[in-house]
Amino acid sequence: MMRRAVAAALAASVLLAMPSPAGAWDPFDSDEDGWQQPPAAPPPPDPAPLIAPPPGVYYVTDTYVADVVTSEGPLTTYTTTTVHESTGSYARVLETVGTGDTSAFDSEAFNGRRTLGDGRAVAGTYYENYVLGDAGFLPVSIVFFQDDAELARAIWGPPVPPGTSPGGGEPGSSGSSAEPSTSCCPALPLEPGGTLIEPRDDRAGPPGGRTTPPDRRAPAAPIPVRPGVSLLPASPPVGSVEVLRGRPVTLWLRAFAGDREVPVRSWTLLSGESGRALATAGTGAAPFRAAWERLAPPDRAYVLRFRIEVDTRATGHAFVDMTIAVTVRSPALES
Amino acid sequence: MNALRDDRGTAAITTIALLPLLLVVLAGVLQLGALRVAVTRVRAAADLAALVAVNDQDDTELARSGALHLSGDAAAVAREYLARELELSASLLAGSADEIARAADIAAFVAAPAFDERTGARYERPTVRIAAEVPLRTPVFGALVFRPVTTVNVLAVSSPR
Repeated sequence: MMRRAVAAALAASVLLAMPSPAGAWDPFDSDEDGWQQPPAAPPPPDPAPLIAPPPGVYYVTDTYVADVVTSEGPLTTYTTTTVHESTGSYARVLETVGTGDTSAFDSEAFNGRRTLGDGRAVAGTYYENYVLGDAGFLPVSIVFFQDDAELARAIWGPPVPPGTSPGGGEPGSSGSSAEPSTSCCPALPLEPGGTLIEPRDDRAGPPGGRTTPPDRRAPAAPIPVRPGVSLLPASPPVGSVEVLRGRPVTLWLRAFAGDREVPVRSWTLLSGESGRALATAGTGAAPFRAAWERLAPPDRAYVLRFRIEVDTRATGHAFVDMTIAVTVRSPALES
Repeated sequence: MNALRDDRGTAAITTIALLPLLLVVLAGVLQLGALRVAVTRVRAAADLAALVAVNDQDDTELARSGALHLSGDAAAVAREYLARELELSASLLAGSADEIARAADIAAFVAAPAFDERTGARYERPTVRIAAEVPLRTPVFGALVFRPVTTVNVLAVSSPR
């Protein structure tokens, strides 16, 4: 009995000597009763410090693809195509330039800056691209987004005497003027013996109200289309191309009418060794992409035959075939 | 004296007498084989560096003309890859791979046709040529009164065909 009493007393003393409050916490109970909420776990640190872009620098969501020059009748438009994708880069506007304006970035843009038919530089905006590196935002390139238009020189036939047009309208009724009225193209010079053709525009004529007879000239015959293939959207066309074996190559199928490039509506690969081509037909905005794993026979080349479709006012609806020789080469050791 | 009259004894004495010579010949043969292996590896390194450099093409010029055109840094690429490839055989070399690559005569004939003054060859296509003197370790030759370092001349020429 004595030993039991000692054991019970010992157990009781231990219980009394080392009490500890229960760690339970009632989330529905208020803190006013003396209970403290368990400390909240500290938020995990950011994996990388957030670097805010400098003022004016924004995240790029539309990426430059190519400069596009389209001709619809007498109007030639200079635009830039983009694709809605994010490459992780940033950009900011450097300068917006007007038609003919010079800029310090004229020779800096990797895609260059085109000129109008009269030699003036096209209008547009210079952007500088950045990538976010360890040292912050690093400038990588400058790109020019062209945005301009111009009126072409005479591509229609000689004037028809007044009164012979089907419409037979009164002079001045068309509202057209002898000078271009678009804001982009002030005062294009007239060619000797040529006629400046303006787009149909209902805006008012030049100051003084001078008007000219309505345009009664009949459209001339469609301008023949001259096809071309280039490796870049705006590089000069090539008649043949050498490629390294297995290396992807992009061929841009283009068309020209006179000295102007006209948009290609679609293209189709008619014949030839296409290699690993992504597609054998497409729209004018999509190039032909392929890679060749096999070499052509010695002293031979793969001849690709394309058919392009063009449909503009200047050219009419036309299909034109063209060929390009692709010579596939592979690095080899010389004896 | 019986041993000298016995055929077995004669063979034993002959073997003992010729054993050093046989060992020397064997060591020389092994060293020669190892040297050939080393030369093959060094030549492969130079060939690979030349091939890689030929792959370095100028895309801008290709877009302009449609013809393959070596990039302006093709020679630097060849030198860099020669050093990288030689580094894999560093135990065979009697010098550092970087020094050997730096001392190599590397020429990139960007446009073709071109004439190589060093070799007298005419290249019909853009070509990369590597000429290097590679010192290889030959310790057995050194022990046999030859030079412990054998320098091998390596020539690698590559162009797209």
